[in-house]
Amino acid sequence: MDWTRGVLSSLGANDVDLVASLPDAALDPLLSALESDPGIETVTATREESAVGILSGAWLGGRRGALVCQSSGLATTVNALSSLNKPARIPFLGIVSRRGDLGEFNLAQVPFGYAASSVLDEIGIRNRTVSDAGEIGTAVDLAAKTAFSTEEPYVLLLDATVTGAKDEF
Amino acid sequence: MSSDPARADQAACTEAVLDVTPEAAVVSNLGVASYVLAGVEDRERNFYCWGSMGLTTPVGLGLALAIDDPVTVLDGDGSTLMSLGALATVADRDPSNLTVVVFDNGVYATTGGQRSHAETTDFAAVAEGVGLSAAHVSDDGAFVEAYRVAVEGEGATLIACDVAPVDPEARPPLDASHVKRRFRSAIVDPTR
Ligand SMILES: Cc1ncc(C[n+]2csc(CCOP(=O)(O)OP(=O)(O)O)c2C)c(N)n1
Repeated sequence: MDWTRGVLSSLGANDVDLVASLPDAALDPLLSALESDPGIETVTATREESAVGILSGAWLGGRRGALVCQSSGLATTVNALSSLNKPARIPFLGIVSRRGDLGEFNLAQVPFGYAASSVLDEIGIRNRTVSDAGEIGTAVDLAAKTAFSTEEPYVLLLDATVTGAKDEF
Repeated sequence: MSSDPARADQAACTEAVLDVTPEAAVVSNLGVASYVLAGVEDRERNFYCWGSMGLTTPVGLGLALAIDDPVTVLDGDGSTLMSLGALATVADRDPSNLTVVVFDNGVYATTGGQRSHAETTDFAAVAEGVGLSAAHVSDDGAFVEAYRVAVEGEGATLIACDVAPVDPEARPPLDASHVKRRFRSAIVDPTR
């Protein structure tokens, strides 16, 4: 089954109706599906850190949001997570394609992509790597539930085994 | 009070925001903008940033996408410079209930007054360049007028307001989690 469908239905089931994102090749099928979903408003940010700001403001106003981006973009959000979401306890759901591991050809993606989970752990942001496409719908559902009930961000890191690695060589 | 007659007074302008839009949800930049706001009135509908420099305006944008009440951002020149790109996203969504005030004191006042690039940056022109309506004011009277127009008009507006640097005494509550709870409870229907 197309892995994006599980994501969409779990977002809907958890009233997540705002997505802030920056493009990523591996996430393109998901981003296209989100854009054509009438139940979801998508905002294209210019930097992922700003996307976190937008989602945080939206939650302060009663909406639930998800960040969709690649791991290099997550790297720009470390100060936002550490100085806004963590101390104020403002939730959002992160759906992040994790570069830098299986199938990676680009060294520029390796240091943060490979370390993303450890960096998040270090700053106290819960996260989980999803490697099995069949698990994604359940993972999004349960991650959204725990993020919005504990009022803290939760980040799902999607391995290349879910999204498909970029085949450059 | 501002001693420089060529620049507006940040406290007077902040007071004007609360006078013109008493119901506004206000998001204030870390440091001086939050200190001034807390000194004018520590209200439930104030969301003070204690960190997240560069995110003041994005937080205001997200909030404006979620509620119908007016949302006013009180940003600094340094924070605005940190994420100028965010203004392009504001312009793209263009919510009518959003007003972004950039208090341009020309310096990073909170960290000791180091000069920013504000002197050579025309914030209103930057805003207009990304498709956002903007005004540039440098006295209290012109600010109030521009703010009324911004609140009543269509689409989002940025007001670049030249202010004299200040070093206020007041501080907002330090507990970020308390501030967000107080703010959100004042704004969101508790059944959500
Ligand atoms: C990401 C980040 N960089 C630097 C700082 C240090 N810092 C705290 S307040 C501040 C100045 C903010 O300047 P501006 O937005 O112009 O507001 P002002 O202090 O002048 O009111 C700086 C540089 C920080 N807190 N976070």
